[in-house]
Amino acid sequence: MNVGLEHYLVVSALLFALGLLGVITRRNLLVLYMSLELMLNSANLALVSFSRFNDNLNGQVMVFFIITVAAAEVAVGLALIVALYRKRQTAHVEDLTSMKL
Amino acid sequence: MNELPILTIITLLPLVSGIVVAGLGEHRKLARGLALTSSFLSLALVLGLWRSFDGNSGLLQFVEGPHAWIPTLGVQYYLGVDGLGLLMVLLTALVVPMSLLASGRVADRPHVYYGLVLFLQAGLVGTFTALNFFHWFIFWELSLIPAFFLVRLWGGAARAAAATQFFVYTMVGSIAMLLAFLAIFLATSEPGQPGVFDFITLADMARSGTLEQLLPAKLGWIDLTARKLLLVVFGGALLGFAVKVPMMPFHTWLPAAYSEASSPVTMLLTGVMSKMGVYGFVRILLPIFPQHINWMLTPLLWLAVITIVFSACAAFAQRDLKRMLAYSSINHLGYCLLAVFAVAKFTNAPQFATEKAAALNGVFLQMFNHGLTAAALFWFVALIEQRSGGLRGLNDFGGLRKVAPIFCGLMGIALFSSLGLPGLNGFVGEFLIFKGVFPLAPWAAAFSVIGLLVTAIFILTILQRVFNGPLNEKWSKFPDLTLGEIALLIIPIALMFVLGLYPRLVLDVINATAVQMVEQLKF
Amino acid sequence: MNVSYLELLKLAAPETIVVLTALAALVVDLTSTRDLEARFRFIINGMIACAGCVAAIVWMLVMPAHANALEGMFVVDPLTQVVKIALLGLTLFTVLISMDSTFTEHIGEYLALILLAAVGMMFLVSAEDILMIFISLELTSLSLYILAAFNKRDVNSAEAALKYFLFGGMAAAFTLFGLSLLYGLSGATNLGQIAAALEDKGLDPLLIVAMVMIVLGFGFKVAAVPFHLWAPDAYQGAPTPSAAFIASGSKVASFFIFAKVMMIGFTGGETNGVHEIAGSAAWQQFVSGWTPVVAVVAVLSMLLGNLVAIVQSSVKRLIAYSAIAHAGYMLIGVMAHSGEAVASLVYYAVTYGLTTIGAFGVVAVVEARSKDDQLASFAGLSRRAPVVSLCMMIFMLSLAGIPPLAGFFGKFYVFAAALKTGAPNLGLLWLVILAIAMSAVSFYYYLQVLKQIYVADMPAGAEELRVPVLGQVVLGLIAVGVILLGCAPNLLVGVLQASIKAAGL
Repeated sequence: MNVGLEHYLVVSALLFALGLLGVITRRNLLVLYMSLELMLNSANLALVSFSRFNDNLNGQVMVFFIITVAAAEVAVGLALIVALYRKRQTAHVEDLTSMKL
Repeated sequence: MNELPILTIITLLPLVSGIVVAGLGEHRKLARGLALTSSFLSLALVLGLWRSFDGNSGLLQFVEGPHAWIPTLGVQYYLGVDGLGLLMVLLTALVVPMSLLASGRVADRPHVYYGLVLFLQAGLVGTFTALNFFHWFIFWELSLIPAFFLVRLWGGAARAAAATQFFVYTMVGSIAMLLAFLAIFLATSEPGQPGVFDFITLADMARSGTLEQLLPAKLGWIDLTARKLLLVVFGGALLGFAVKVPMMPFHTWLPAAYSEASSPVTMLLTGVMSKMGVYGFVRILLPIFPQHINWMLTPLLWLAVITIVFSACAAFAQRDLKRMLAYSSINHLGYCLLAVFAVAKFTNAPQFATEKAAALNGVFLQMFNHGLTAAALFWFVALIEQRSGGLRGLNDFGGLRKVAPIFCGLMGIALFSSLGLPGLNGFVGEFLIFKGVFPLAPWAAAFSVIGLLVTAIFILTILQRVFNGPLNEKWSKFPDLTLGEIALLIIPIALMFVLGLYPRLVLDVINATAVQMVEQLKF
Repeated sequence: MNVSYLELLKLAAPETIVVLTALAALVVDLTSTRDLEARFRFIINGMIACAGCVAAIVWMLVMPAHANALEGMFVVDPLTQVVKIALLGLTLFTVLISMDSTFTEHIGEYLALILLAAVGMMFLVSAEDILMIFISLELTSLSLYILAAFNKRDVNSAEAALKYFLFGGMAAAFTLFGLSLLYGLSGATNLGQIAAALEDKGLDPLLIVAMVMIVLGFGFKVAAVPFHLWAPDAYQGAPTPSAAFIASGSKVASFFIFAKVMMIGFTGGETNGVHEIAGSAAWQQFVSGWTPVVAVVAVLSMLLGNLVAIVQSSVKRLIAYSAIAHAGYMLIGVMAHSGEAVASLVYYAVTYGLTTIGAFGVVAVVEARSKDDQLASFAGLSRRAPVVSLCMMIFMLSLAGIPPLAGFFGKFYVFAAALKTGAPNLGLLWLVILAIAMSAVSFYYYLQVLKQIYVADMPAGAEELRVPVLGQVVLGLIAVGVILLGCAPNLLVGVLQASIKAAGL
């Protein structure tokens, strides 16, 4: 069987959906971060495969940048968790309730 | 044109002094003194303007501009007055010092109060002198904000609701009007050239029929016919002014606002702000939408009649002096509306030119006279409230004539002027209006006479209940006017006599304008 | 492709200046001012930051440039320069209103982050390439997340930042996925090339997915319903100057790039006066495309923002909900996608940003003394701090759209542009009417704030608020700016129109 563009795209869409599902249903902030990463990486997969099938390198170049940005994002995110943990001793989203309408 | 920009100065003077007064902090005497100085200075300037105004010409004078302001939107800085504008500016300059003099007792944050009054004056003068819609609209709205706060902060017990109601009604009207003019703006804009906001150009376009063609051509909207579309646009503009005047059934904000506002503020509201609506009818609706008024003539005329008759009856049913006077204000301005609508009749027949000119002259006079008289009447009510500790019910008093004869005499004169007694100013305007309207719209005029009768009845009732009859013992110590108060009040009273006996003083200025307007109505 | 690095550096000089200033503020704070009192440190480093902004502004004024470097990676034209100058102005005011605050010891870092966020926004404005768009969006967002968490003493601050971060991360993922699909469909990363490739393809299902995802991502950045959930919490919990910057600078840049992406990337071929990909949101004549999507978002934002704002008791939350509503008005300008509409949009966004910074500045003044931002804390403010109260009145009235303030002209201009685009059918009239009705509603809650300030009685024992002279001057300047831009809008509009013509949008 030939593996074509659509196969990559399906996998990438599945990964994106999984990531989104994780962000919506999971409660632990660290797991949430992982799900966010999954979403970003699904986009990376799509970019790489498009790049391969479109016959230009723009997509691959983009992926390099995105990987870097994603790392920075996680760093910021972890710092935020630490800041929250110091105040609240928690890393769960249910506890983010001090401000409500 | 390198002359002194006198109209700009008259507009900016109260604005600047308002800022100074409000910025001074709570120095009551200083704030009051400055506000009074500024308002008298304005009055002096306007009187100077009046003297140098050429009454033989109905054209705009003291024109400034048009200077480009926001070229991309066709907004220009364009000022000028004709007889009507000048008369309104004079009225503003007269009523504002009256109101300031009457509000000597403001204790709560006087600097803000006086500042707001001056801002209001600036807004009013701006409205009466601007000739470009955008520019005009800014001042129209600008006058609303200080008025709202004046009612909201210094009014009676139910002032919050009254102020909100006042604001919401006027705002809805303004928005409708804004949309209507936006439609006109879009219809008149060409690629690479902004649309037209300028009243004079718009009136020219309306006269030549261009506007009629442009609107449906540029804005053919869904399945609306050209005629309906035009009526929608006209309706939007009409609503804005009808609320302000107010014309029934858009009047329900008025009694609450007038009676809850403190009396000096009501002097401003009824004396000048209500004139903004009538002014809009004459300056904007009549020249730009004459045909549409003509199409809708019958319902509009009858709305005016209803306004006149019902407000008079409603005034008769009130037991609170301020509410009575409020309804009587609606009634008096109803005559103006009646005349404005009647003038749009027979737009192609030249034979009624004299009647129309008379009617328009009547409208102008009525606006001025009512402003003066109503302001004076609310001043008297303010004095009553001061003396009675806030009471102003029709039945709270009685026999005041015996303890305060001068007070009752002077207020009686103002009341008779409001009633339209010949010899006083109120008569002249109404007489001219009826003289003009009877040949144009006999039935409407005939029914409106009922309004005159009922007005006479309720004004006589006031005289009877408050001044005559057995003396209410509670008020046996009711103090009469002091010399200072007499000295101040005698001025508007004297003006009432002067204008009643010698109306040419004003007519000389406005007649040419009225004739010119009638001439331009032909198309 | 020959790239002259010297030329590139010259083009990016304003950004470079701001980055260097950020580093300078960091270094100075870590070395020479370390032992000073926090207040002096703030003033010294704040002045450095301001000087950097001013230098960058002056550079752009003196050296107008018009170039497209690296195939749309970095576009400098008069329009982007105007927007950058406005952004730097907003940054400047943000720095100025934060000088009085006491929420942090890490002053150098704080200012450096503000400046870095500003650099991100400036690159964002210049980007016409999806890679640059994504990276500068992230640079801006990451800096703003940290700024939101900067008050380490307050529990709410970290929570606000986390919420902002989670929603932001998700939105970034959506945007990125949408952009990757766009790249796949067109084989290009440059917006112009993408548009050219999509010209005759019509509405591909994949394109619809890409479009919706991109709208969603930007919808988050501009806090439009239904991606608004972070905004109230972030505004309330974040330190007030940070919130001001999130509400102003970030909004201006996001709206600008949103409009640009939509206008350049997604117009498509024209049939019967309707752009194929844009579609049409005209009444009873919907044509599928991105404009109906944006129309739905705009309607929801205006309704929800205004109605929920009414019941707020925290002033910052109130401003947040009103920000959602304003995003709705501005989306109408995005939808109109014409040169005129972009001018109106930028005018609106800039004046809105200015006004919001001012409003947050007043909130910061009150908050510094009464420790919270509840409506009740504003009671009788007019007697305690008359100048500040007057400024707040101007800001609130401008936000409500009362003439002759900038807010009125902004709304007027956006609506006029939208109606013009919809002509000859006035198709967007329904949206404009809704927007006007909703802005009338908004007057109610703005008035609630003014009512507290001017009508309500002072709490017993409250004394006069000592507002630092600098704070008063800054707020006064912003207020004067709001009045000036409202009375003489041509100052900005004229420049915008000329630059749009020059940029060829």
